[in-house]
Amino acid sequence: MRNSFKETIIEPLQEFYKNVLDFLPDLLTSILILALGVLMAAVFKKASARLFRIINLDKLSEKYGISGILKKWGLKDSVSGLLSKIIGGLIMFAFLIISLRTLNVPTIEGFLGDLFLYLPNVFVAVLILFAGYFLSDFLGRTALIASVNAGLKISGSIGKFVKLTVFFLSVTMALEQLGIGKETVLIAFAVIFGGVVLALAIAFGLGGQDAARDYIDKRLKGEEDKDDIQHL
Amino acid sequence: MSPQTVSEDIQGLLSGISEADILVGIPSFNNAKTIGHVVRAVQAGLARYFPDKKAVLINSDGGSTDGTMEVVQKTAIEDFHSIFVSHQINLMKITTPYHGVPGKGSAFRAVFEIAKNLNVKACAVVDSDLRSITPEWIDLLLRPVIDMGYDYVAPYYLRHKYDGTITNSVIYPMTRALYGKRIRQPIGGDFAFSGQLASFYLSKDVWETDVARYGIDIWMTTTAIANNFRVCQSFLGAKIHDPKDPGADLSAMLYQVVGSTFDLMETYYDVWKDIKASEPVNTFGFRYAVGLEPIEVHIDKMIDRFRLGTKELSGIWGTFMPVDLRGFICNDLSVVPNEKFNLQDDIWVDIINAFALAYHTKKINRQHLLKSLTPLYIGRVASFVIDTWHSNADEVEEKIENLCLSFEKKKNALIDEWDK
Repeated sequence: MRNSFKETIIEPLQEFYKNVLDFLPDLLTSILILALGVLMAAVFKKASARLFRIINLDKLSEKYGISGILKKWGLKDSVSGLLSKIIGGLIMFAFLIISLRTLNVPTIEGFLGDLFLYLPNVFVAVLILFAGYFLSDFLGRTALIASVNAGLKISGSIGKFVKLTVFFLSVTMALEQLGIGKETVLIAFAVIFGGVVLALAIAFGLGGQDAARDYIDKRLKGEEDKDDIQHL
Repeated sequence: MSPQTVSEDIQGLLSGISEADILVGIPSFNNAKTIGHVVRAVQAGLARYFPDKKAVLINSDGGSTDGTMEVVQKTAIEDFHSIFVSHQINLMKITTPYHGVPGKGSAFRAVFEIAKNLNVKACAVVDSDLRSITPEWIDLLLRPVIDMGYDYVAPYYLRHKYDGTITNSVIYPMTRALYGKRIRQPIGGDFAFSGQLASFYLSKDVWETDVARYGIDIWMTTTAIANNFRVCQSFLGAKIHDPKDPGADLSAMLYQVVGSTFDLMETYYDVWKDIKASEPVNTFGFRYAVGLEPIEVHIDKMIDRFRLGTKELSGIWGTFMPVDLRGFICNDLSVVPNEKFNLQDDIWVDIINAFALAYHTKKINRQHLLKSLTPLYIGRVASFVIDTWHSNADEVEEKIENLCLSFEKKKNALIDEWDK
């Protein structure tokens, strides 16, 4: 009876106690690293904010229109504020990872391993989204200006259509990079894009037969209402 | 600097010629229909006005496929003595394809290189699509260089009041306000210059830039003025040339011409910031008035294009234009009845200065910036047409003069903003 009590109750408790004692130094180290991380993040955030102020980053961002883009996205921070927050966040994140690894818990280590393997995908996806945003803005604007200069009444819609299409394409690529619904997203994009083009073709073909004929006649036969003004 | 644009064969030919007094360059690209007339006029002009000078005619071709170079080689005044009984012709004719960046600037570069090799006193370049060129043009262009010591002779043409609207509304007033010389046709296309200036042009490292492609005319004029070469202009009479390619769109033209002018503002800021007023330059030739034939202009359509721009592009303009200026253009001006549509001189100058400053500060992509100018320019032309519909040539010239004065008046404000 006595032996049985020792085996079932005392020994597991002793084992647990031993494990806790073994784990405590790791936990304390981990907490210390985390605290150091909080401190370092705050210091780097402040120092980088000061550095950005010295090099007049906000003025430069204003000049090159980056501040305008942030405002458009609804971000109230200045560029220097945002960048210093990102730097602080990255340092905090690095220390958090180190502190978690210090715990030496197999489950956490496995999770961190998976996370590290996946992180490059997230990084590339974010890059694709950024590039997609800027490219969509650029191409949308190019299409808008070109169609205004061609005198097309639907210039605004053309610009928006080009912008949204390019951005949607970049979102599709980013999701594919993250491995989320690979085929579904691609098929959805193809169906929507193809559908829009088909709808436009049918609409123009059926609804605008006369307009299309007039336009082609004028273009091909040179019957446009041209001014005699020589610009150069 | 990039390698020479003239082939070794031509270099050999030039060393055979050794020296010449006059060089006339004709840049061409698929101008077989018109270049024959231009070559004949040049030959006749050289024979009549410079019979004792050794002259070379260069056709610098950009790879024509319509036989332009063959036309140049074969063209001759068949019965020369019936035209100029007492004159001889001392002319060497060379046709050469140029190498390098395709464009009028590279064709001109080949002319500068040959001028330097032959150590010529004076050069002239004339467009290959001219229908109105006469032998007198050669005298009017070259004489100020040869006999009067000028380095650069710009053309001064008779043109319809609605011809050259980019020149009249942007390039002439801006060049005059910036550099202080009243050269009426800074991008005329037909110029004369001294051998010394040709060598100076050649020494500039611009032959891989847009200057080599399309910006050569304004670059030559501005470079001559900004570097204190002696400049003048010659009255050549009417300018009639082949209609431009109908496919060449207005926004591309504006992009090229205005972009080149803005680029030069960057290069010569130290020169133009100190120039406070403009002065006339000597003008040679006999000036006469031009009859104004009625032409077809669709003002309502032009104002519609302006309004489409104000509706769709105000967001883009908002990134660099002062709030009150954009407000006036997009709110006030876009709702007035067509017959009262008036984009005044002051507003137009503010617009151009805002574009120049945005180009300088690179606030938005430069191609977007310049191409978004098109609807505003069309609005300005519409306003000018409404304002001058019943005006004769002198009255129109007076209005252009007023615009120039507005540009000059607002130059200090431009400099203040430029320095910020």
